[in-house]
Amino acid sequence: MNQLGTRYVLGKVAGSLGSLAFMLVVNFFLFRVLPGDPVRTLARNRLVSQQQIDELTRTLGLDQSLPQQFLTYLQNTFTGELGLSFRYRQPVADLILDRLWPTLVLVGTGTLLATMIGLWIGVRSAWNRGSRFDKVSTGSSLTVYAMPEWWLGLMLLAVFSVGVGPLPGIFPTGGLISPGVDPTSLEGVLDQAWHLALPVLTVTLAYLADFSLIMRSSLLDEMGADYLMTARAKGLRDTRVRREHAVPNALLPSVTLVALNLGFVVAGAITIETVFSIPGLGLLTTEALEVPDFPLLQGTFLVFSAAVIAANLVANLLYAVIDPRVRS
Amino acid sequence: MKPLIRRPHRSRRPFAALTAAAFCLAAAWPAAVAVAAESPAADEPVVFTVGLLNEPDSLNPFLGIEAESYEMWGLTYDYMISYKAEDMSPQPGLAESWETSDDGLTWTFHIREGVDWSDGEPLTAEDIAFTYNRILDGGPESASWISYLTSVDTITAPDERTVVLELSEPNAVLPLLPMPILPEHVWSKLSEKDVKSYANEPPNVVGSGPFRMVEGAAGGSTFRFEANPDYWKGAPHVDEVVFRVFQAEDPAIQALKKGEIDFVENISGNQVDALEKEDGITAIMGDSPGFDEIAFNTGSVDLETEQPIGDPNPAVLDPKFRYALGFAIDREAIRDRVYQGAGITGSTIVPPAYPTYHWEPPEDVAFSFDPDRAGQLLDEAGYEMGPDGTRTMPDGSPIGELRLLARADSETSVDVIQFFSEWLADIGIESKVQAVESSKLTNLILEGEFDAFEWGWYVEPDPDSMLSYMTCGQRGNWSDSWYCNEEYDALYLEQHSATDQAARSEAVKRMQEILYLDAPYLVTMYSSIGEAWRSDRFEGFVPQPNPGGIMLVQYGVDNYLNVKPVAGKDTSSSNTNGALIGGAVAGGIALAAVAGALLFRKRDRATADDRE
Repeated sequence: MNQLGTRYVLGKVAGSLGSLAFMLVVNFFLFRVLPGDPVRTLARNRLVSQQQIDELTRTLGLDQSLPQQFLTYLQNTFTGELGLSFRYRQPVADLILDRLWPTLVLVGTGTLLATMIGLWIGVRSAWNRGSRFDKVSTGSSLTVYAMPEWWLGLMLLAVFSVGVGPLPGIFPTGGLISPGVDPTSLEGVLDQAWHLALPVLTVTLAYLADFSLIMRSSLLDEMGADYLMTARAKGLRDTRVRREHAVPNALLPSVTLVALNLGFVVAGAITIETVFSIPGLGLLTTEALEVPDFPLLQGTFLVFSAAVIAANLVANLLYAVIDPRVRS
Repeated sequence: MKPLIRRPHRSRRPFAALTAAAFCLAAAWPAAVAVAAESPAADEPVVFTVGLLNEPDSLNPFLGIEAESYEMWGLTYDYMISYKAEDMSPQPGLAESWETSDDGLTWTFHIREGVDWSDGEPLTAEDIAFTYNRILDGGPESASWISYLTSVDTITAPDERTVVLELSEPNAVLPLLPMPILPEHVWSKLSEKDVKSYANEPPNVVGSGPFRMVEGAAGGSTFRFEANPDYWKGAPHVDEVVFRVFQAEDPAIQALKKGEIDFVENISGNQVDALEKEDGITAIMGDSPGFDEIAFNTGSVDLETEQPIGDPNPAVLDPKFRYALGFAIDREAIRDRVYQGAGITGSTIVPPAYPTYHWEPPEDVAFSFDPDRAGQLLDEAGYEMGPDGTRTMPDGSPIGELRLLARADSETSVDVIQFFSEWLADIGIESKVQAVESSKLTNLILEGEFDAFEWGWYVEPDPDSMLSYMTCGQRGNWSDSWYCNEEYDALYLEQHSATDQAARSEAVKRMQEILYLDAPYLVTMYSSIGEAWRSDRFEGFVPQPNPGGIMLVQYGVDNYLNVKPVAGKDTSSSNTNGALIGGAVAGGIALAAVAGALLFRKRDRATADDRE
């Protein structure tokens, strides 16, 4: 059993590494198929001579042949060197690190809250199907689910940032931190919490329905199962039947969903970052696409694909833990 | 199977939790509001906050290209020559005066005394010569700026107060030298390779300009500048300038209404219309030196063999055909229906904001919306109406469908091209509209696979660069119409090395006339840019061009020196108390959450017990 478990784990890890290697290669060629010439974009609308264009091409390393660029790319990636961004002229790794944590905090906290609240709502409404709680929560989940994220964000911004009628707005209209505040001080941390409150609320509301509806339907499926009848026949309390028998079995689809969602955490929330002007990874990527900024795109997509692959791996491993059938 | 035990319908739990949450929020809200409303102390700094809709790319003047980056270098550094606000003509900057030799080959600049770098070192002529030589020597430093030093052989500083440029042939663009002057004692330590990725960000920025950059990084969302109290033009009236980058227009507008920012730059005409009604806000569509045009493929060729490439419709290769279409465009309709009534209808590639160089077409050739005249001109050129209601080529063959390309990323571009297509139909010319991404359009232009498209240009205070885009040598490069005309090219060289202003203006005007009649471009509109600001808090802006122009992101940064708080108004940053409010609110929410959770747990147990 234990050995089987090890083989399962090793197999999954090897598979993930294989996918990552594949993505590395795809990433390089994917962006070179994009229309647009970075040199022309960067030099647009200025007085530029051929000499200057050549200089820019050399600076960006685009004077080399494609196979040569590919070799350099592989070499650099394996030595942990992601290159210089065309647009910002800064090391790609630094840019990504700077932008990574706002996204992680924003979507991480938001997803966590959405998961917890969503699962709770899902369990409760399934267990009391047809109750007023069920009707209200399912109805409102669906309503929020149907709202486009940016619209929801803008509405929250209009109400809580700008203020409605006599109520003044108490949250900032965007950004990550007030100018002149040290982000590492206590004041800075509180200031960032203040700035992130509305965006996190938007993420939470936007993803809430995903979790509550899935949880609700998978629990409803389980509720007809015979083992619940057995559990009840043993005289267990309703709460115990729910917590220890029904929910763990109903949790399987939700785990997949949560893990997959966490994978998209880094890439997601572009719209929310746009509405709340948060300098995150999503925005970095859209800006890089305009040039197109090959090294930066390669870097961000490497992070995105690594995140999705890692999340899948975690989901697979977690499955082995919560579902013994997977191991055998 | 249904659950055996059903819960009571009326659960009070959510209500209890909501009450707890509401209570805590209610406690936090007035506290937060009270903190926010607290009046600022007398020594509170005056902060002028500008909302940008695009971010600066690099704060290193050798690397950045975005207008926002130029704005920030303008605050940080000085220029040897700057621009007059009214007409953007050259005026003294670090150079107090200058003269040229009679042959136009030697330019001597006399440098102001008593200007210091922010680290206390004096700024001398050597810093200026160093900066220009760094560009002249090639390498990454030359990429943005070398064009301003065309035909300059040497740049020297014979003494601390004099800079001398020696030229191989006269260059009429001088004395325009819009490069920020960098401190030699800082930048001389950076090799060519270092410069390629040098960030030039706080706390390591040494400048001499009216402000000092104290916070911000490329790609970031907040940039903070402190006033330089010893600036040689006089200290600014505000203590700080803060730039906040918004990624979408709506939130920026909301921030302006709320007063979080004092100025918002580059907004749409619809927003300007809406903001005009707000109290305490002034919103304008300012004239900006640029134009939008419908451009034609005037003959795409392989530059080495001079053989045609691409597949332009033979009709658009004919100047007479293109000129006739100029009368089919209702520019006023474009202004009113596409540009929300803002801006000036267009004529030539040099905007009227530059009166020294702008050529105004005389009445007998000037375009007006006159489909009959367009039809008559087309008839004369041989493009007669066929029996099916569409015009034919002079040889009687059908013209076919013109391919009109619009930029999918620009609403105005798509709208203008659609109108154009309808107007063409009215005079018997079929066309097909296609919207493509800008980058894709660039490729199609280079391949010559188009008949006409819509795009625009900004025009620098010296029209030389704009004029050069229409020369034969720029085909396959910056020319997007493949235009080539020997007479035009000769005039271009003539004006480029003219030493007499009147002669140069004459040549530039004649060039515009040639372009107008050959019509590689049909200029539709001169650009305008939407801006809005809290006029209840700040005043003193001078438009550029004056009157009718824009207030910020001008050529030069004079308005950051002009802007001053309206007397007796609160202009302190509304963010000062942010952390306190944040703390209060976050605390309130945390309390609500804890209270809610406790209540839930308690009730959970209670009902479970009840039910047994």
